[in-house]
Formats: sequence, structure tokens, C-alpha cells
Amino acid sequence: MNNADILIGANLSKRFDDLEVVKDVSLIIKEGEFVSLVGKSGCGKTTLLSLLSGLEQPTKGQVILNGKEITGASEEELALFRREHVGFIFQSFNLIPTLSAWENVALPLFPIKMTNEQRQDRALELLNQMEMGHRTEHLPAALSGGEKQRVAIARALINNPKIVFADEPTGNLDSATGDAIMAILSELHKKQGMTMLMVTHALELAKTADRVIRMQDGEVIT
Amino acid sequence: MNYRYIWKEIRHHRHRTLVNVLGIAVGIALFVSINAVSAAYQRAISLPFKNIGADIVVQRAEKRSLDSGQPPASMRGIRLPFSNQILSVQDMEKLRTISGIDAMVASLLLWEFDQGGFKTIMGVDLTAPSLGPIKVKEWLAQGRFPEKTGEAVLETHFAKFHKIKAGDTFTIGGRSFNVVGLLEIKEGSQVAAANIYLPLADAQSLLGGSAGDINIAYLHMKNPAQIDEIKTQISKTLSGVTVTSSDSFLELMGGMSQISSQFSLVVSLVALAGAIFLIIKTMVGNLVERSREIGILKAVGWTSSDIQKQLMGETFMQAIMGGIAGIAAGYLISYLLGYLSIPVATPWELNLTPAFAKIAETSAKTIRLPVSFSAGLTAAALALSLFAGGLASYFMGRRMSKMKPVDILRRL
Ligand SMILES: Nc1ncnc2c1ncn2[C@@H]1O[C@H](COP(=O)(O)OP(=O)(O)OP(=O)(O)O)[C@@H](O)[C@H]1O
Ligand SMILES: [Mg+2]
Repeated sequence: MNNADILIGANLSKRFDDLEVVKDVSLIIKEGEFVSLVGKSGCGKTTLLSLLSGLEQPTKGQVILNGKEITGASEEELALFRREHVGFIFQSFNLIPTLSAWENVALPLFPIKMTNEQRQDRALELLNQMEMGHRTEHLPAALSGGEKQRVAIARALINNPKIVFADEPTGNLDSATGDAIMAILSELHKKQGMTMLMVTHALELAKTADRVIRMQDGEVIT
Repeated sequence: MNYRYIWKEIRHHRHRTLVNVLGIAVGIALFVSINAVSAAYQRAISLPFKNIGADIVVQRAEKRSLDSGQPPASMRGIRLPFSNQILSVQDMEKLRTISGIDAMVASLLLWEFDQGGFKTIMGVDLTAPSLGPIKVKEWLAQGRFPEKTGEAVLETHFAKFHKIKAGDTFTIGGRSFNVVGLLEIKEGSQVAAANIYLPLADAQSLLGGSAGDINIAYLHMKNPAQIDEIKTQISKTLSGVTVTSSDSFLELMGGMSQISSQFSLVVSLVALAGAIFLIIKTMVGNLVERSREIGILKAVGWTSSDIQKQLMGETFMQAIMGGIAGIAAGYLISYLLGYLSIPVATPWELNLTPAFAKIAETSAKTIRLPVSFSAGLTAAALALSLFAGGLASYFMGRRMSKMKPVDILRRL
């Protein structure tokens, strides 16, 4: 496995009015690494993740993702960049309620020129991989939390991302379901070498990762 | 564009879609019905003239008389209507010198008062072109039009009132006429409506004046746009005559008929603009409710223009549905209104029966609104609903571009 730096954050700061939420954070994530980001509620984990993934611009500092400097890029450029290189998994799943499971998985492909069959094939393949092959036509409302998160993971993978960002992926799930989801993520990392940055405040979950980064009051402390 | 997603959004949010579609439909229905009804009114008031193929009617009214509600005691037998004194040979010659007139028909209109009541008699030139009262021969219900002296046709209501059938004889001014046919006066044709039509020569001999007497002239223009110009020219050349055209009806009818087509267009556009404004407000409001969805789309890599296309697809779909529903409803309303008969007030000098004679009032007085389908209006309505859709997508797009994908990270 080559150990290229896939994500570099350099001297990142984020300020909301007079509140500095992320303070001069620098970190590097190598290709194939599974990194977890832990810290107390409100310490700035989600904010840091949004800076590193290009969902938000830092007040200061730089982000280089897959060799491309994304700080200062326009919203449209960032969207295209996310479409090609980044996958997201959220605590609250964030599925589109009007679309079926497979359509939710295929959502990132909708703006891309390809046939609907191609999109569907790819989505079904991933849903099968998530052991969701039997619920592809259901709407999110008909799925359990764990099932929703499996659909969301399939969606995060549909563009063959270089890196997956996950913000408390088990935060809305009971511990058994959460463990199952963690197992899926861990397997993704181990079997497919997926690079992942996962935010969590549960230390046991963080231990699944190769490396743990701790945050406190907007600063990285390890 | 992804029709699957567009369709699902529209179908799953039935209530939302219904409100939007109804909003557009109401605006478009208002636009269509106001314009269709206004156009029908414009057409209705032109009917009295159009039906008889004339643009202008020229008459000479009795100088002193007013159409009083009481019949003068001395009125018995055949006489000239108050508003129709003889047009002299010189008058007719002057009329002929006016350019821009391509056909002219003169008739002699008479009133008869006797024990049997009151009748209007139209003496028509059988050799003249189909214009003015000659036009009525196209409306025969039974029999034929008079061909020679001593023959007459009766208007059906009048004939029924007097229990006369085709083939009977009928006494006019003491002379017996063969009733050779019955005819029905078309709606709104009071400008040439009479109870009895007979050859001009017979009418002239009934009046007992000089041969060649006529008292009403129907003119057809080469170019209808010149009507006003020619009307003033006639008034100038022939002093003391009454010159009427469909405008005279317009002045009398008031209400909707006074609303010019431009004005009704403005009114309907204002109504539509109000509806569009409300729709845009609700659509943008809906979008705010969907900010999470927009955030998800942005997070997974949809660009603003991808999302804009999606929103436009949804909006245009609803605009088209609303537009079609509105056009259908608008015409439905207009046709329903068209079922109501509207009174067409006739300028007194064109009212061929005196105000005190209330017998045998025919359909000539009221007409149905001639509502008709207009391709132009329909296309305009459809274009306006698409424009509304475009405008709504524009404002939604502006709102959407301000939504941040990062917001979804903190939503539960
Ligand atoms: N848009 C914003 N405007 C103002 N303050 C904000 C904004 N977003 C986040 N914050 C503040 O920044 C701080 C860090 O928030 P963040 O969501 O990054 O914390 P977190 O570590 O993810 O917490 P949790 O574990 O509860 O998810 C919080 O105090 C929060 O109130
Ligand atoms: Mg958080």
C-alpha cells in the first residue's frame, strides 16, 4: 500500500463571529488510513471535518485533498470535487425521503451522464454488499435506523471515493446496530483499503481506527 | 435532468403540488376568462352590424320628434318611423360621392298602426346585393323570399302571434299580400329586424309618396378601419343625418363592453401577476422547508446548476399542469358565462320599433355571448404559465444557492 498523503490540513482555523471553534489545527491523513477524531461535545469535531471535506471554508489555513488545494475553491468546484473524490456518512443518515433506497444510493450519479440502468446496477451492487439487496425499492421511512445507515454508506461509496468522511455514524443507533455499522466500516477499511476519517465521541469506537486524534476546545491535543 | 426524481418529488408532495398547481391554474383561469369574455363582448356588440354585413347605417330623423313613450293620437295607418324620414335623391347622390364605400343598399322602413296592433315593414330592393335587410333572405325558415309585387315574408314570431302560415294572405295597409315565406331573425340583428319584408316598390306604394322613396341606407366599407373617418365625412356632407356603426352600441352598453381589449388584458395580467406572486412565495417557502434536501444534494456533489435543473423541472411540470388546468377552467367559465344572454341595448334611432310598441319582441334584443376558443389566447396563457414557472425557478434558484451543505451536518 502506498502511503501518499491524501488529506493535509495546515494551520486550520475557523471562527464564527468572535468564537474560534477550530484553532490552528494541522493534520495529515495517509492513503488507506482509518483515523478517528474524538473529543467532547462542542469541541469542534464536526467543524473540523467540514473544513477538511470542503463543505466549509476555513477562516485561516489550507486543505489539500487528493493533491488539490481546496481552500478558496468556488462552491461549484467543491461540489464537483466532492462528487468525484469524497464520500459522506452522517449521524442522521440524510437520505432523501421521496426516493427509494436504490435511488438514494444512486443520488450522486444523477447529475452524471449515464443511463438509469447503469446507475441502478451500481446502486444495487452496493446495496447487496451492505446486505440490503432485499430492500432496494423501499422509501427511507420504511427502513430501520441501521438499514438507513447501510443505504447511506452505499451512497457514500457509489463514486469510488478516495476518502470517506463519517460524522458519528453510529450516533443515532442502538449499540448492537452501531456495532454492526462499525463492522461494515472496519471491513471497508481492511478489505478495500478505504481511507476514512470518522468523528465520534465514544472512545471504544475510536479504537477500531488505526489512529485516534483527540480534540479539546478546538485544538488537536495528540 | 432526472425525470424520475422530479416526478417523485411532485408525486410524494401531493399537497404541496396541488397548492402550486391550483395557484397557477387560478391565475391562468382568470387571465383566460377575462380575455375570452371581453373578446366575446367586443364581438357581441359588432354582431348587429356584422350579421347584416353592414358597417354603417345612415338615416334621417324627424326633426322635432323624440321617441316618447306615448303614441300620438293622430298616428293611424302607414307612416314613416320617427327616426327614418325620407332620404332624398340628393342625399343618396352625395352618399355615392364618398369614397371608401364598396356597397350600398337602400330600403324603405314603414310603421303601421291599426286595430291589429303595430307592425314594422321593410321594403327591400330585391335586385340589391346581400347586405342590410337583403341579408335576411339567407335566414329563411320556410318558403322563399318575395320575387314580385304582392308577395311578403313574415318574421316567425310575428307570424305566430298573428297565426299566419306560409301560403296565407296578410293585409298590410289595406292591401292583401301573399305570405310566401317565414324567416328567423338572427340573434343581435335588430339593425335590420322588421316584422314584414316585402318588395321595395310595394312599400313605396303603401306609403303613397313618390316612387323611389327610401329612408335607410346600409353601407359596406372597403376597409373597415376607415369607419370613423367615413362616418365624419358622411355627417359633414349630409347635414342632419344619423350615422351609426357598431361603436354606437359600444357607447350604449356600458359594463364589460366598455372595457377595451387592452384594458381587459391589463386587468387580467394584474390578476395573474398577483397569483404568480403568491405562487412564487409559496414555492420559495417550500424550498426553505427542503433546505435539508438541498444540503444533501450539495454534499453529495450536486452543483447549484444541477439542483437548479431539478427545481426547474419540478416547477415547469407544475406550471404546465396549472397552465393546462387554468386554460380549461378559464374557457369553461367563459362558455358558462356565454350561456347567459346579455341584453344588447340598441341606440334609439336604430331601434326599428318604437318604445311604446311592446309586441312581438324577438330574440334580436338579447344575444348569447359569442365566446370562442382563441389559439392566440391559449398560447399566451400557456406562455404565461411557463413564464411564471421560470420566474419561480429563478427566485428558488437564488434562495437555493444561499443554502450551505454544511448545515446538514448539524441537523438531527
Ligand atoms: N454556524 C455556526 N455559528 C456559530 N457557532 C457555531 C456554528 N457551527 C458550530 N458552532 C459552534 O462551534 C462549536 C463546535 O461545534 P461542532 O459542531 O464542531 O462541535 P462537535 O465537536 O461536533 O460537537 P458534537 O459532539 O456535539 O457534535 C459549538 O460550540 C457550536 O455551537
Ligand atoms: Mg458534531
